[in-house]
Amino acid sequence: MTSPASASESAPHSDARNLPRTAVIVGGNRIPFGKAGGKYASASNQDMLTAAIDGLVARFGLAGRSVGAVAAGAVLKHSRDFSLTRESVLGSALSPSTPAYDLQLACGTGLEAAVQIAGKIALGQIDNGIAGGVDSASDAPIAVSEGLRKALLKANHAKTTPAKLRALASIRPVDLAPQSPRNTEPRTGLSMGEHQAITTKKWDISREAQDELAAASHHNLAAAWDNGFFDDLVTPFLGLARDQGLRPDTSVEKLAKLSPVFGKGEGATMTAGNSTPLSDGASVVFLAEQEWAQANNYPALAKVVDSEMAAVDYVSGDEGLLMAPAYAVPRMLARQGLTLADFDYYEIHEAFAGTVLSTLAAWESEDFARDRLGLDAPVGSIDRSKLNVNGSSLAVGHPFAATGGRIVASLAKQLHAAGPGTRGLISVCAAGGQGVVAILEAV
Amino acid sequence: MTSDRNVELLTELPPIGPAIAKAAVSSRGRGGAKAGLPDRTVMVSDVSFDINDLADYAHLIGLTLTNDVPGTYLHVQTFALQVHLMAARDFPFAMAGMVHVANQMTVLRPVGVAEKVTLSSSATNMAPHRSGLTVDLVGEARVGDELVWRGTSTYLVKGASMPHEGAAETGSPEAEAASGADVALQQWAQWRTTTDLGRRYATVAGDVNPIHMSGLAAKAFGFPTAIAHGMWTHAKVMAALQGRIPATHTVSVNFRKPILLGSTVAFHAGMTDDRVALSVTNRSGDRVHLTGEVVPLAGSIS
Repeated sequence: MTSPASASESAPHSDARNLPRTAVIVGGNRIPFGKAGGKYASASNQDMLTAAIDGLVARFGLAGRSVGAVAAGAVLKHSRDFSLTRESVLGSALSPSTPAYDLQLACGTGLEAAVQIAGKIALGQIDNGIAGGVDSASDAPIAVSEGLRKALLKANHAKTTPAKLRALASIRPVDLAPQSPRNTEPRTGLSMGEHQAITTKKWDISREAQDELAAASHHNLAAAWDNGFFDDLVTPFLGLARDQGLRPDTSVEKLAKLSPVFGKGEGATMTAGNSTPLSDGASVVFLAEQEWAQANNYPALAKVVDSEMAAVDYVSGDEGLLMAPAYAVPRMLARQGLTLADFDYYEIHEAFAGTVLSTLAAWESEDFARDRLGLDAPVGSIDRSKLNVNGSSLAVGHPFAATGGRIVASLAKQLHAAGPGTRGLISVCAAGGQGVVAILEAV
Repeated sequence: MTSDRNVELLTELPPIGPAIAKAAVSSRGRGGAKAGLPDRTVMVSDVSFDINDLADYAHLIGLTLTNDVPGTYLHVQTFALQVHLMAARDFPFAMAGMVHVANQMTVLRPVGVAEKVTLSSSATNMAPHRSGLTVDLVGEARVGDELVWRGTSTYLVKGASMPHEGAAETGSPEAEAASGADVALQQWAQWRTTTDLGRRYATVAGDVNPIHMSGLAAKAFGFPTAIAHGMWTHAKVMAALQGRIPATHTVSVNFRKPILLGSTVAFHAGMTDDRVALSVTNRSGDRVHLTGEVVPLAGSIS
């Protein structure tokens, strides 16, 4: 289970891999997250990503300047957006000579983008960079059916008019129905919620516990907005100044009234209230080499200490679709010589309340430690008052690829306020049975 | 607004199609230059922007939708007032004979998409031209009392003559705004126009002038096919420059030969510290559709 790099027990800290340089988070920017079909209903991914970049540019005086690289992506992507990030950069106030590329790791896109940029900085390939992500559930691509697509391609390739007509004549009425993107796993046909419902049941996570987590997310997010925490993390867009899905006055009692939407029968516990809503939004993070940041008078909020990816076999039912972070975190902790208790803040992405609680339950389980991780003792438990202290996806919304950038920037700011040396853990699950996790430490 | 002008206050932006139809049926018997321009400013206040409409406009052009209303979209809004003014009986020329030959707009500060603006339009500055005379339709956008945008659309009235013989022919606007000639231009892009572009642009900008809508109608006015809206070309140029020019600027363009829909055109630009020179031509560069320049109000071209 452990990677070769973690075999060493001699190096307990961030220099475990003897990286030549330290990548720090300078700051971040996002637009408020909107509800699908809401304020950003007409905005494209490129519009939103450009807005997030331009807000960051304004905040850090980057107009007309270039950075080492911009890495970002989207999960729901139009074919015309094959070079979404570069196109967004070209339309932004950044210098046109700024390199940019797209990446895609489902809901882990934004965090993995930050990890890649941090890696390039640490290796001395670039001095600074921007990482981010964007998604629109409103402006989702609609594809043509396979029958229509193949007929059109055949007609396009045909050399003669009769051949073209023959190809077009093969189109059947049923082929004309548009294909909306579906939130289902290609290999199982189950939606993400249906997958999580299996896991939630397996770990015996109660409805009450899920609703409590959801209520806390809304209350924490509302408090963070009220305290001005997001003042230097968010730029309003198209008339939206706060996250559209936030319900400050929600409560466990109100959430308890909702009917389950995922899972079947009496044991069904997952509702629209304790599952993330479809959302629109974009986020970016500005990272730099620590000394470069200092020399250029930029703040250094927190350094990127380490990251780990994991994947699980959810197809055979061996493990739950969204449980990969439960494996990634213990491996990363071992490599760093840390325990789960060695953190001041935890950011566990709330794909569903059940995901967070199943992950925490796995880490507390002796069986899971022994059978799945090959460890003698459970990974441990966390102080829940340190979890998602400024709200998370249940309240903020979850524009898939934008979530990582939101978490990285918010956690870096939170850690910086708590003082040098404070540590934060990020855990993000992703479709395809994958997960990305990372450690940040305040500078 | 100068206080000595009458103000015609409208409750909302008037629809353009009916005004164009009204102008067409009342084109005869207009007073001509002697009758003078109407001493009226048409105004509508508390205009808000529909983000969905703005997004449709931006995406058709290729502009990124941002928190700021594109300058060319403010033209689109005031165009409704222009048409209202020109269609009215007291306007001395028939609208069908007026050709949009030049446009200048200044963004004094960007207008936010959530802001409400007061828009106005007035006709002024009748000036002799080698092919007739020109009239300026001046549009303004204000937020509260603050002037935030000003646009001047220059129309050529072919064959019309000035009321006073011997009035000195002021330099034609075409000549004025073509001063970027000493900047080397590079081709930046080629744009393929589709035959339905006029109809598609009309759905987002409201300008349903028949010469843009159908080949048949365009033929009646002497064009071989439908032609592109000049303000589409203008907006397309601004989209190409988005992110590269300061938010506050003056952009001046001259519309030369019309773009026949279905053709492919080339966009050229040349940037110096203090301005961007522009042109849109056919692919071989020997037929010029648009020339112009952007000058920042403050700062420099990045």
